[in-house]
Amino acid sequence: MPEAAVVTVNLAKHYKYLKAVDGISFEVEENEIFGFLGPNGAGKTTTIKCITTLTRPSSGKIEVFGANVVQNPDKVRQSIGYVPQSLSLVNDVSGYENLLFSAKLYGVQGSVRKERIERMLELLGMKDRANDVVRKYSGGMMRRLEIGTALVHQPRLLVLDEPTIGLDPQGRRVVWELLRRLVKEFGITVFLTTHDMSEADELCQRIAIINHGKIVAIGTPAELKHGVGGDIVVLETKQNPETAAKILEKEQGIQISTVGENSLSVIVESAERYVPAIIGSLSSNRIQVEAIFAQKPTLDDVFLKYAGSRMEAEEVGGDWRQIKQVRRAFRKMG
Amino acid sequence: MLALFEKSAVVLELELRKMMHDQSDIIIRTIQPVLWLTIFGSVFGQLRQVPLSGVPYLAYMTPGVLAQSVLFMAIFTGVSLVWERDLGQLDRLLCAPIPRTAIVLGKALTGGVKGLFQAGIIFAIALVMGVSIIFNPLYMAAVIAVVLLFGICFSSLSIFVMTLLKTRERVMGIVQLITMPLFFASNALYPIELMPRWLQAISFANPMTYVVAALRALMITGDLSGLPTDLAGMGLATVIFVVLASAAFRKIGA
Ligand SMILES: Nc1ncnc2c1ncn2[C@@H]1O[C@H](COP(=O)(O)OP(=O)(O)OP(=O)(O)O)[C@@H](O)[C@H]1O
Ligand SMILES: [Mg+2]
Repeated sequence: MPEAAVVTVNLAKHYKYLKAVDGISFEVEENEIFGFLGPNGAGKTTTIKCITTLTRPSSGKIEVFGANVVQNPDKVRQSIGYVPQSLSLVNDVSGYENLLFSAKLYGVQGSVRKERIERMLELLGMKDRANDVVRKYSGGMMRRLEIGTALVHQPRLLVLDEPTIGLDPQGRRVVWELLRRLVKEFGITVFLTTHDMSEADELCQRIAIINHGKIVAIGTPAELKHGVGGDIVVLETKQNPETAAKILEKEQGIQISTVGENSLSVIVESAERYVPAIIGSLSSNRIQVEAIFAQKPTLDDVFLKYAGSRMEAEEVGGDWRQIKQVRRAFRKMG
Repeated sequence: MLALFEKSAVVLELELRKMMHDQSDIIIRTIQPVLWLTIFGSVFGQLRQVPLSGVPYLAYMTPGVLAQSVLFMAIFTGVSLVWERDLGQLDRLLCAPIPRTAIVLGKALTGGVKGLFQAGIIFAIALVMGVSIIFNPLYMAAVIAVVLLFGICFSSLSIFVMTLLKTRERVMGIVQLITMPLFFASNALYPIELMPRWLQAISFANPMTYVVAALRALMITGDLSGLPTDLAGMGLATVIFVVLASAAFRKIGA
């Protein structure tokens, strides 16, 4: 059993009118990629700020590699590399200078420093652009450089807040590959937040689903999806789906998931076995099924099951716009 | 203690690197003092009634304009810090294992060093305009010390104000509110004896007055009798502001 990288017990952070984080407990194991999945305002950033010592928890305990964030903040700080949600690069100096600045802040000295910055530039694939001013970088390069600046002091834990927000699929892949490499080759532990289902699913070894400041489910993506209880069967009908739902509700082994305007989705143990029964039962009640298809559960279904709504419904939106604004503000500055 | 100065230097270094990449800020900041010297100086200098104890008006006002431009620059430190905080850039410093005081001191030092750049430029302009400045290396060194200390002092005051007021609008507001009175209720542009009584009282409590007095003594008149008091006062104020600002800073974060 590897040592725990982060141990969080009953963590809460209250703002004046709001419990942003409302008593959560979880552990991040060493050398895994652990994801925090949740909609806007769920409390992801607040949790990260508590872990990275940027804000003091209202109650509860956090330990990072055995060091308490409140009692021993400098030890925690030294062991963490943090990539915030909004870009924190200094945009009017070069990429090289950004790395140099981080190295100096964390007390990386002399020849070691030079060597590490060189290697970092290589790892990030930006050797040829190292001396350009950051303002001229693309969004993807900024993200990569930001990750680089968080790594020069060789932290054991890398904490990233929505590391791929605002990136195109290609840029996202690059970041994912980088993170996987860090875990595999350098033994780093990664803690990240996301509200992207596929990111949580494909990148993270374990995830915690958070909503309204509470963890509603935790486990590997496979476990969580398995926990939904089977396959999802979606059927479309021109008649009232509510009526269809009432009929199917009475059947053994069928669980209603959501009722749409002219569609209905149910959870069954195995789609192959239940589809004939569903069609049979509906047609004997004179409900015509226009289309039917089955799918394996996604993390969205997991979210639905535990949080009681679709994750998109929880989103306030505007993330894209937000990051673009920040970047524009950046370019204007200085 | 060593770590404190080392990390302050790192913060300072970054700010200077920013400045090196983009000198427009420094250049823009010289426009105002130039206007003061050329326009205000030449017009006001025509009024022969101003009792300046034998010093030409342009020479009289040069230290005042120098102090003013350092003041405006230093007092802006807090505003740019709120800006950095709002953008999340300050988090990069706050999550690093460095003393909070190093952040305050580093930013305040930046104010001082930028003030020196301003001083250099104003020196040059004044010389071009025919102001006779005392060329004594010791006096020059003392001018550098005063400007540096003044810049640090008001930068740290501005950082302290920033930690109290928190939002960008409020900090901007207070900065605009206090800079003008600091400037005009001082001996920067005219002798205190010309002021009405109530304004005289204010100007005696105004730190600007002592800075201008010190600079004027060192650059123009050569009468150093008041200098030790001026320096001691400023040094004390600086220490107080840095301590207050650091204490307020420590409350940010765990
Ligand atoms: N400094 C603060 N003062 C008051 N409320 C805050 C503060 N910071 C965050 N909140 C509130 O706490 C809640 C959780 O915010 P948080 O930033 O942790 O969400 P998040 O999961 O990171 O969301 P997003 O995906 O939008 O980044 C939100 O309702 C937010 O408005
Ligand atoms: Mg967030």
